[in-house]
Amino acid sequence: MPYTLKVEGMEEITAMLAKAEGAAQGIAALALYDGAGVVADEISRGARGISTSPFRYAAGGRMRDPSPEERDALVSAGAAGIAKFRKTGNSVDTSVGYGRSGYVSINGKTKPAAVIANAINSGTSFMKKQPFIRKALNKAKDQATEVITQKVTSLVEEILK
Amino acid sequence: MPTDYTTLVTKLKNTTIPFAEYAWDKRPGGDYGVVALEFEAGALHGDDKKVARAFEGSVDLFMKGRDTAKIATVEGVLAEVCDGCWRVNNIQYENETGLIHYEWVFQVEG
Repeated sequence: MPYTLKVEGMEEITAMLAKAEGAAQGIAALALYDGAGVVADEISRGARGISTSPFRYAAGGRMRDPSPEERDALVSAGAAGIAKFRKTGNSVDTSVGYGRSGYVSINGKTKPAAVIANAINSGTSFMKKQPFIRKALNKAKDQATEVITQKVTSLVEEILK
Repeated sequence: MPTDYTTLVTKLKNTTIPFAEYAWDKRPGGDYGVVALEFEAGALHGDDKKVARAFEGSVDLFMKGRDTAKIATVEGVLAEVCDGCWRVNNIQYENETGLIHYEWVFQVEG
């Protein structure tokens, strides 16, 4: 005697999965925004912690520290912003940093914030290096991954409800 | 001190480029390299103890003009000590001094 196996509700599951697939890029973008926020906050915190000493020219074979004005410029530049999201296929990516922070004014001179951030992070032949961006990235990596995973899970759950 | 790092420093000092360790303060005038560990990049914990640690550090090379032979020397040493655990992080040209500054970032286990 032939048995008949009937599964009900398959259409709904298929429809739900299709809905989730269509929303994948949106979900990724929302989660990425939160994750990038964590990284940007950590970089801003790092910038506040840059050690400084009043400006003087590097002389006598010694290097100089960043000046307080340079640090304040990085802190106030709306720095460590999140770049425009780039969408390719099903993936979304962005970058965090001083690339879009524009120009800042230091003692009446206008300079790009990104150049100052770079000089402090990597050092120059006359400025001591303080790798605050690299430190912040290492610190924020785990937390950003965690935040992104949580956001994706909650958004997918919402769609599948 | 991580053995990989000690090896790296010894090998860099054996090259023809003058290399110094932890020379935060000294101002380079011409060809000059600095190598240092900077911070702990991550650690593995077990039984409330650190089982393994990863340190991040950098190699800075200042040159008058871009000398590919010197760049190849440093990258050769890095590749020998820890292949795949380093990257070029930054290349800068300084208008005022005319120096080219290469920065490599590496991670070693300690």
